[in-house]
Amino acid sequence: MLAALIVSLPVLLGVGYSVLASLGLTGPGANGLSSARLAVLGEPVVWTGLAWSLWVAAASTGIAAAGAVLVAALFRGGARTDRTARLLAVLPLPIPHLAAAVAGLLLVGQSGLLSRLLFALGLLSSPGEMPALVYDRAGLGLILTLAWKEFSFLALVAFSVVATRGERLEEVARTLGARPAAVFRRVTWPLLWRGLLPAVVAVFVFVASTYEATAVLAPSDPLALPLLTLERYTDADLSRRGDAFVLVLLGMAVSLLAVAAHEWARSRWDRFEP
Amino acid sequence: MTAGQLSRPVVLAALGVSALAPVGLLLVASVGRDWFFPALWPPTVSLESWQDAFRGGGRMAAALGTSLVLAVTTGLASAAVGWPIGRAMADLRGWPRHFGAAAAFLPVAAPPVAVATGLHLSALIAGVAGTLGGVFLSHLVPAVGYAALYFLGIFTLFDRRIEDEARTLGAPPRTVLWRVTLPMLRRQVGEAFLLGFLVSWAQVATTLVIGGGRVRTLPLEVFAYLQAGQDRYAAAGALLLAIPALLMLGVVRFAVERAEATPL
Repeated sequence: MLAALIVSLPVLLGVGYSVLASLGLTGPGANGLSSARLAVLGEPVVWTGLAWSLWVAAASTGIAAAGAVLVAALFRGGARTDRTARLLAVLPLPIPHLAAAVAGLLLVGQSGLLSRLLFALGLLSSPGEMPALVYDRAGLGLILTLAWKEFSFLALVAFSVVATRGERLEEVARTLGARPAAVFRRVTWPLLWRGLLPAVVAVFVFVASTYEATAVLAPSDPLALPLLTLERYTDADLSRRGDAFVLVLLGMAVSLLAVAAHEWARSRWDRFEP
Repeated sequence: MTAGQLSRPVVLAALGVSALAPVGLLLVASVGRDWFFPALWPPTVSLESWQDAFRGGGRMAAALGTSLVLAVTTGLASAAVGWPIGRAMADLRGWPRHFGAAAAFLPVAAPPVAVATGLHLSALIAGVAGTLGGVFLSHLVPAVGYAALYFLGIFTLFDRRIEDEARTLGAPPRTVLWRVTLPMLRRQVGEAFLLGFLVSWAQVATTLVIGGGRVRTLPLEVFAYLQAGQDRYAAAGALLLAIPALLMLGVVRFAVERAEATPL
């Protein structure tokens, strides 16, 4: 128990400090117990920033998970093609998010490689005609970059789920006369989805709060929650710096809610385990 | 031929492009000069950005050194600290075990910006804000969380009877650790080091807040080049970020395979 507390103590101290600072008891510009700092929650920019971060997290996690399921279902054998495909899928795993973001900028930016390829094919006549995929309000460039980056992690988990749990159950289904499509729909897909879910939740929580790729590819309006938090934390106006602690707690609450939702879903499904 | 068999070559090709194209693009962008729209290939190729990066006192070379020192020390320290914590948690049963795992999960799941701003106060009190030591400690927080969870999994499955046997034969605890447990868990220790290395290597928010701009790591230099519109240097920096991470993975795998092939 002591060991576990040692690990979490620095974060718990930080959360405790954020709670006190949110109530005006400490931190820059503190002047006694008040709910003044909570007024930041009334600013629309906070909720649009939160909604935008959740949209980016949901879209990129969804695309990455769909890709991981597809690749895990297609390349599950022991042949050289399958092994090559699995290696290629997990190769980008150690590449840092910032490096991925720079590559994303060079690829889908207004005058990036994609725009040049479209020009070479005669589909564009100037960079201005390229649909905005970077700093765009929909966050498409960021979504694609994060989906690419998280795909390798989810693929790794999907390969291990298929390898450890899938084979025997699928064999039983086939023996009972199920066609390949039915085996996928009734056995492979449910196994993959349930095996992947913890990793999907982890990716969603991570992406919703990621800073580096967001700082490179996201627009300034709406401002994503992690960027807004750090912006307030380093604001030249000391009275606005306290807002950051309320936003930190909001970010933590989203992470904890996602983890709790996952645990609730898992406990419901576990009741149906044979 | 089923739809699955037909789509396999297409998906394989897409995986190849997806794995290699981003790194290839960074490489070309880092050596391409005057590479403006609509050119598909740079008109001039030069190693200028790389030479600038490594010329004596170059900003990027210094930042690379700082990042390497931080990542290696974080990797070593997180494996060393995470091992006993993970082992102690694996001994727990029932709700204390769930509580322990949740506590270790906290620094992993907490938003990096939240961890950074939360740790800032502790760093200021300890007088380490704005120093390399302070940034190292801030990297260690999430890294130890990952390592503790990793070793919790390892020691949950570890068969301790072999240690008991060594003790029965008269081996003192230190000998059991060095001659029995560590050699058996070489691969896992290597992977825990790699995990800590990668966690530190990619940190941005904690370095920014705790380092206060005085500790310049490679990711911070990449940001600075991007903000200055120096895409060529940013691409070189991004490649420098990607290559050691990929190499570390290969080196740890190779070292572990060699060690496992060596008789005890």
